[in-house]
Amino acid sequence: MNKPVRLGERSHKWLYDVRSWLIMLPGIALFMFFVWGPLLQSVHMSLYRTRNVELIEFVGFQNYIRVISREDFTQALLNTLSYTFWSLLIGFLIPIFLAIIIGETVKGKGFIRTAAYIPNILPGLATILLWRAFLSAERSGVFNVMLGHLGFDPISFLSEANLVIPIIIVTATWRGAGATALIYMAGMSGINPELYEAATIDGAGIWRRIRHITLPAIFNLSSTMMILQIIFIFQIMYEPLVLTAGGPDDASLSLMLLMWRYAFGGNMDFGRAAAVSVLIALMLLVFTTIYTIVNKRKTNWDM
Amino acid sequence: MEDYFMKTYIRLFSVVLALCLLLAACSPAATDGGNNSGGNAGGGNDTGTPPTTAAPPSELDDISTEVIDADLTATITLGNWPPDTAPDAERALFEGYKAIMLQQYPNVTIIPAYFSYTLSNYLPMARGGTAPTLFQPPFTDPQLLISQGLVADVTDALEVFGLLEKFSPSYIEMLADENGRIFGLPRDGYVLGMHININLFEEAGLMTDDGLPDYPKTLQELAEKGQIIREKTGKAGLVFPASETFGGWLWTNIAWNFGAVGDNALLYQDSDGKWIVNLTSDAAVAALDYVRSLKWEYDILNADTTTTTWSSAHPMLGAGEAAMNFAADDSVDNPTAGSGLSVDKFALVPFPAGPYGAFALTGGTCYMFAPNTTTDEAVASLAFLRLIGMLPFLDDDIIAGMRAGAAATRERGAPVLPRVPAWNDAEFIAMQRSIAEEYSNVDWRLYEDFFNSFTDGTIQLRGEEPIHTQQLYRDITAAIQRVITRAEAGVYEALERAQERFQEYLDDEVNR
Repeated sequence: MNKPVRLGERSHKWLYDVRSWLIMLPGIALFMFFVWGPLLQSVHMSLYRTRNVELIEFVGFQNYIRVISREDFTQALLNTLSYTFWSLLIGFLIPIFLAIIIGETVKGKGFIRTAAYIPNILPGLATILLWRAFLSAERSGVFNVMLGHLGFDPISFLSEANLVIPIIIVTATWRGAGATALIYMAGMSGINPELYEAATIDGAGIWRRIRHITLPAIFNLSSTMMILQIIFIFQIMYEPLVLTAGGPDDASLSLMLLMWRYAFGGNMDFGRAAAVSVLIALMLLVFTTIYTIVNKRKTNWDM
Repeated sequence: MEDYFMKTYIRLFSVVLALCLLLAACSPAATDGGNNSGGNAGGGNDTGTPPTTAAPPSELDDISTEVIDADLTATITLGNWPPDTAPDAERALFEGYKAIMLQQYPNVTIIPAYFSYTLSNYLPMARGGTAPTLFQPPFTDPQLLISQGLVADVTDALEVFGLLEKFSPSYIEMLADENGRIFGLPRDGYVLGMHININLFEEAGLMTDDGLPDYPKTLQELAEKGQIIREKTGKAGLVFPASETFGGWLWTNIAWNFGAVGDNALLYQDSDGKWIVNLTSDAAVAALDYVRSLKWEYDILNADTTTTTWSSAHPMLGAGEAAMNFAADDSVDNPTAGSGLSVDKFALVPFPAGPYGAFALTGGTCYMFAPNTTTDEAVASLAFLRLIGMLPFLDDDIIAGMRAGAAATRERGAPVLPRVPAWNDAEFIAMQRSIAEEYSNVDWRLYEDFFNSFTDGTIQLRGEEPIHTQQLYRDITAAIQRVITRAEAGVYEALERAQERFQEYLDDEVNR
């Protein structure tokens, strides 16, 4: 039998709801203006022939059909998947190792933590330009100068179609690994220290402690971070834009860069640029759904 | 204890916020922002350029400061202003022009705003109402900007200045819409040739008995002499910007010289008016094979060809990392004053001829106006252009302004050269040449072959391919990148792929 709700309680609940909504209102308004509005506008625009950002004529799904049927879309999609693959291969484990190393460090932990995070606070474009100077195949390229001293021939890092995506991923990982490592460190700090103490008493070395305590404890966190990394890397744009402009021969062209080309690459076709962006959003929706499911899983560990 | 920490954090946070606000309030943008009714441009330079240490050229003293029009009221943002990083002499010159202009037109406000035009940075500014009143796009863009509604109709202002009758039909075609309304005016033209770093030619022993660089006259010679330079100096024979769309742009000139003109034209309309791209003719294939050979047989290209842009190629030549660069007369400032190469170690020579003939790409830069420009603002902008000698009018003041410009160019260490004229006005062109001669700081023998080549017909001038050039260049650049990064890549296949992609694009965009 349901408990009868008194009138006072009901009005109090209503008031409580109103207050909650009022508190959320600024956030909702900002989201509507800066996120949902542009998102819906983008979907709307993708269904029109445009004159730069003006809508000229409703064309249904024609923009989508034309965008998908072009060869550069297939190339960009394959490249984006390649970015994702290399990102997981190179960029997924490094922050975990970094977090473990920092966690295990006894002296100078603060310094190492700060040093690992510094690339993240540098302006993104500046770091890319810095990498360009390092990767240059000209005589002034820092890596090639170093290779020259070691007796190796210079390498055209950014002109090799097979190398360019992994190299771009290295630059992105260098920048983002520190911040991700901090998240892992936060996760690791929640592990009950008694588990480590007990393991140490039982004679477990560092590798066994990591394997049997640390890694299982951060499993759920790492699953979440993996999905977030995929979502992030799917939107990679300014690294290839600045480093290679999508070259050589579109070998580093990403979907986001393709979208940029439609909008700003010479023809100002914002309708098709919007179509590409909606397609990216739909693909990311799949990953986000996976992320939500993964995120709902709770660890049964006694932390 | 927790409370104590919380309070400390809140205090610290408040101090940081207050400091940020204070810094923001003290910034020049905050103090000058109220004057900016014309909007900001590019680098936000309207907040005032840094003071120059140089004085304006004394030639400016000859210009009358009497009021010309006290009624003209306008605020104009001039995107043709030199950047903060420009040599003092150039910035001082423009400050001098501004001071005179404000005396001649006391109710005109000038906001200096260096703006390096690209389509991608102009579009958001034009749509957001913050584009500079005056900016300088290349000849390839006016029709696109007009069709997209991103520039102002300045026909009335041009009429006020009596400029309409001075337009040649080709410029009207380029700068007008289908109703004959005009949206801009030409600044100057350019002819593609080749920049030479004489130091590297000397080091490689490629000098004539007269002490001049023994530069390549043909594309075959370019490959051979580039190879000598590579062997003797270790530096690149040719810097070739093959990123984005630049490679395709330069390649079209090479292709013309291999015969991709007439029946083999890269782009033509068939009898039904349909646009057809033709990149697989023998001439086009030979031209790409030539570029491929520069990498894999002669090895004369700079190492980072696929990431080299038009602007990053100039410093390579200026710094002596490359001996030659396909570039035009309008960019001689970049390797010299811009990158430190002395004018007596720099030469400008004609574009090398190919097996079929000798063509040189010609184009230019125009002045256009932000879409929200009023007629008064356009008139004020034109008055400024007249003052600096960019309009085809002559009087004592304008001549003094032109002389001041040449003096400043000489002062900053760039070659003083005659311009490739945009206006067909014999008296104006003669005056420009006479001033260039008067202020000349170069050994003319290092330039005369270039300037003579298109006046005596040694080289035929040819405009850019007619439609959707940027997309064409992008697809060709991809083909170039393919053959110079993969030794085994087939030239024909790379061009066939570019042809298919661009034909698909044309069918989609213009052949529908």
